[in-house]
Amino acid sequence: MPIHEKSLIRPEDIKTHDELVLDGVDVSGHWSTFIESRVVDDYNENLQDEIAALPGGENIHRCWQCGSCTNACTVNAINEDFNPRYWIYLIRMGYQSELLRDKDIIWQCVSCNKCTYACPRDVFPEGVMKATSHWLEKKGHTPKSPSMHFDEVFTEQIVKTGKIEESRTIRRFFARTGQGLMQPWMVEMVKRMLKGLPVGLLTRMGLATLIAPKTNDWSKASAAIQEYIDEQNEKHDKALSLAELVETAKQDVAA
Amino acid sequence: MSTTKEKYKKVAYYPGCALEGTGHSYNRSTKAVGKALGLDLVEVKNWNCCGAMEVKNIDPKIQTYLSSRVMSTAANEMDMDVVMAPCNGCYHNLKKAEYDLKNDEESVEVVDRLSKKAGHKTYEAGQVETIHALDWIKDSIGEEGLKARVKNSLEGIKVANYYGCMYTRPRHIFPEKDQGPGSESTSKPHFMDDLLAAAGAENVDFPLKTACCGGAHTLSDSDMSTKLVLNILRAAKMSGAEVIATECPTCHSGLEMHQIRAEKNFGEKVDIKILYFTQLLGIALGLKQKKVGVHENVSD
Repeated sequence: MPIHEKSLIRPEDIKTHDELVLDGVDVSGHWSTFIESRVVDDYNENLQDEIAALPGGENIHRCWQCGSCTNACTVNAINEDFNPRYWIYLIRMGYQSELLRDKDIIWQCVSCNKCTYACPRDVFPEGVMKATSHWLEKKGHTPKSPSMHFDEVFTEQIVKTGKIEESRTIRRFFARTGQGLMQPWMVEMVKRMLKGLPVGLLTRMGLATLIAPKTNDWSKASAAIQEYIDEQNEKHDKALSLAELVETAKQDVAA
Repeated sequence: MSTTKEKYKKVAYYPGCALEGTGHSYNRSTKAVGKALGLDLVEVKNWNCCGAMEVKNIDPKIQTYLSSRVMSTAANEMDMDVVMAPCNGCYHNLKKAEYDLKNDEESVEVVDRLSKKAGHKTYEAGQVETIHALDWIKDSIGEEGLKARVKNSLEGIKVANYYGCMYTRPRHIFPEKDQGPGSESTSKPHFMDDLLAAAGAENVDFPLKTACCGGAHTLSDSDMSTKLVLNILRAAKMSGAEVIATECPTCHSGLEMHQIRAEKNFGEKVDIKILYFTQLLGIALGLKQKKVGVHENVSD
């Protein structure tokens, strides 16, 4: 099914002339064919390699631009600016400034994997979305997304204890993103949840928040996982030349 | 096709973190149904989190390791050859780890390195078979077996069966699906429909069986999740369903939470009952509502 992805010409690029006659033809007003000329000179030739160096982005080079991912996309159905096919195109072209126009929504991928299901080339677009949002954050183009905060809070708890206790994860996430825990809908849900529950279960749930469940003898696994995460982080920072980026920024500040 | 698998009658049970928290009634009803059907569940010893939907975003191979540790315990310390996970997230991650350990050398190397450092045997692909609670009942008891045990038919109850994302996608980690008659389908899954029909329920024609509930962003992008859940709730209602049957704790709590959030924040009340399929099956098998934890659910 063909879909309308987006208009190719942006309203702000269209030239309008109050009065213009060309070869005796009156072309005053709004002509979509008259657009601002532009020169693109800020290609990032390393963009595809950098995304491919992050987990999930490995297969981006396989893309054929068929658009099956965008056609299948859950988020695209809600926000048509959310366009995996287009972003993959921009990354492969190295057209960074254009990609950055959408920098604040790429993290919103819900990982439903409909794109991966539809992709005839095993690009794993879901992974590419994750790699791209990591790239944006690592390079400092966007602050950490709420989703990334959640992933970090969650993973930290697993590395530490081996298991998740949900209410603790939720409280830490709200604290880290500076949101109040007692949002009206949350209060309503807790109210409805509690009304049917027997005292015994409530006591156990209360205890679980105090004594978080954990996996026994976890310390060696915990250390091994943390070591691996640190090692991978170092590798990714190197692939994205982050040290040089920081050095350049320092010099800019000094100058 | 009604060949039952004897080996599914005693399986290693991996409840996962959610079933000890918000999905408690799923845990309870799964165990109660297993008991009523004479199926044996042996909980995986000292299990850990599979990595859920979050750890892969920090590093996918950590998730592979976490899931492999659960399978290693079942295989090497308990001598079990089938692991049953009722949670879609756990089920998905164990399947994904199995696929990666079969096909990706780097994953094998990382899992081996971490397992050695953690001090346990490395899991090797093929040591266990991971199944979902749906496979477990469908393939050990079957529809005929279930029909014979129904004491309290669900006749007259209209159900929309909601399977979510992780049970079917991506296709390549579920090699046993889409294998023709008798096998599960990744585009139109039907195992839950089959079981509930055997219990007497009327399954409505529900188009959003494998739509996404936005579970991954339920708190980090709540408006998006509420919109996606609303689509599912509305479609179920329009299909004539009175109940949405679920088979995943994240989907289930997502549907319950965002049904309330839609009411509070968007002013739209859909008002549909959400039950785990194991709760419905338990009731059909003659168990008391309390026994399968219906009172622990939020929707009513």
